[in-house]
Amino acid sequence: MTRSRIDLQDLLFGLFLVAVATGTLVATRNLVIGHAADMGPGYMPRVVALALMAFGLFFSGRGLWRAGRGIAPVQLRPLLAILASVGVFALTAERLGLAIASVAAVILASFATREGRLVETVAFAVVLSGAAVLLFVKLLGLPIPIWPR
Amino acid sequence: MELFDNLLMGLSTALQLNNLLFCLIGVVIGTAIGVLPGIGPIPTVALLLPFTFGLSPDSAMIMLAGIFYGAQYGGSTTAILVNVPGETSSVVTCIDGHEMAKQGRAGTALAIAAIASFFAGTMATIVIAVLSVPLSVLALKFTAVEYFSLLVLGLIAAVVLAHGSVAKSLAMVLLGLLLGLVGIDVSSGVARMTFGIAALSDGLDFVPIAMGLFGLGEIIANLERPAERRVVSQSIRSLIPSREDLRAAFPAMVRGTALGSVLGVLPGGGAALPPFSSYALEKKLARDPSRFGKGAIEGVAGPEAANNAGAQTSFIPLLTLGIPANALMALMIGALMMQGIQPGPQIMTEQPKLVWGVIASMWVGNLMLLVINLPLVGLWVSMLKIPYRLLFPAIVLFCCIGTYGIANSLFNVWLMMGCAMIGYFFIEIGVEPAPLLLGLVLGPQLEENFRRTMLIADGDFTVFLSRPISAVILGIVAILLLAMLSPEILKTRKEALAE
Repeated sequence: MTRSRIDLQDLLFGLFLVAVATGTLVATRNLVIGHAADMGPGYMPRVVALALMAFGLFFSGRGLWRAGRGIAPVQLRPLLAILASVGVFALTAERLGLAIASVAAVILASFATREGRLVETVAFAVVLSGAAVLLFVKLLGLPIPIWPR
Repeated sequence: MELFDNLLMGLSTALQLNNLLFCLIGVVIGTAIGVLPGIGPIPTVALLLPFTFGLSPDSAMIMLAGIFYGAQYGGSTTAILVNVPGETSSVVTCIDGHEMAKQGRAGTALAIAAIASFFAGTMATIVIAVLSVPLSVLALKFTAVEYFSLLVLGLIAAVVLAHGSVAKSLAMVLLGLLLGLVGIDVSSGVARMTFGIAALSDGLDFVPIAMGLFGLGEIIANLERPAERRVVSQSIRSLIPSREDLRAAFPAMVRGTALGSVLGVLPGGGAALPPFSSYALEKKLARDPSRFGKGAIEGVAGPEAANNAGAQTSFIPLLTLGIPANALMALMIGALMMQGIQPGPQIMTEQPKLVWGVIASMWVGNLMLLVINLPLVGLWVSMLKIPYRLLFPAIVLFCCIGTYGIANSLFNVWLMMGCAMIGYFFIEIGVEPAPLLLGLVLGPQLEENFRRTMLIADGDFTVFLSRPISAVILGIVAILLLAMLSPEILKTRKEALAE
């Protein structure tokens, strides 16, 4: 953790909240607000979004005002590997079947660390894929194709 | 006696053969994830939720509850033998437990931990049974007004008593509430914030969100830290503690149980706060505090009892009022809703078989855990030899399949991926994701009760203060929030939570 002149943790959280609140206000601009006795669908989202906006501005302001902690440097390898693994599962699961999607997801996830050895990873992926098919499709009856259709 | 009738009814539910089986499955899975550092009960419960659809509500709840308290047992095994807490709740057990193991008394430490846990589990079951009756009588007086106030109290108290910045946690609750609003508005039928995506019209599923934020986000952050896992292969000589050990440990056990039971009921307490408080108390009461940190048996017995008692009594608000005390209980609420049971104050009178069955199953489960943990401890230790590089891809895969399984929708898998990214972002900026989950699960109920109240009261906000029960509840909320503004209490809170 590095020290920095601004509180980056606060600032980032504040900006995130402001972004979410703004997005909500834009997305719900056409919904009927109504009034307290007869609330329309847009009443609660707007109330919550405005509160979030207030929190967001507060944290952003405090983050700029006081010195605080920076954030740990982001390591892209684990982040990208895990996200890619989930993404590849989502892309292939219904088209290529659970067996192939599982192998692909496990191998991609393994790239998150440098410790992995290729042969071990592939073998483990195949075993895990078999176990997943047995457990989820055969035993628990998950309706998902096993092989490409 | 009504209490005995209830407990008997609960036991007859819990002792049905299939419920015994699910209880066993729950505690075995719980022990396993407890032993393994890096997987907590929250993603595990989230992962298993989709597969509880086919079960009866009591079997589902019995199994999921078993995972939670089973994890508390398992966590201590790793803490004692490897000096790595398997769960956050067993951080304290590392201090004296591992020291005992180094002195060659690993068996004694494990046995005391298990006995303390069992003792606490048994007592906590009784506490739950005794407290449930008056609370459910009170709950019958609740209308939309009181229930709204109660939900507010639950959320605020969870934020104030849990660790992390109060302001940030409040913002996270609001964020969760906002996510809970996504979908078709029940009273007008208008789609809100669905961005034209059909999968969003039923609202966001909380399982992909929980798995992304807690499971995957955590994995990504874990992988950034250099791996440090020393497996101490200790030969465990004798599991039977001596008479002196028992005599030294027993008072600590009793005090830990009492402390844990009280702290567990408080929202936000859950499993983390009780062991720390118990350790501090034992150290203060000890005639020779310097023994602590050097293998004092009280330092194992007290916190272990406290953490198990707390884990179990945190079910009280859930089972009697339908209010979750922590993120895990929020998942339990989700499980109930998936079973078509509306959680709320009426739950005890409408589902007595379920509530008492779960309560009784806790005692049965604790008995099973004693057997599973002591003689089979070697098996669990060998599980620690599985390297993390093999473990995490398996978790990622199971999260993907489990998320897909809730609604057979790939959209949920994409949602989980997004939440993994956000979860990592939250860890990076040091914000606790747990309050978000509470807000998400309670959001729809909060809105519904609020709108109903406003409709009845014709938009008059004073109705929350003119009804006595609601006024008292909101008064407590106000005191809690004001207390947070006082710098003195803020300081003590920081110290208490940092210890």
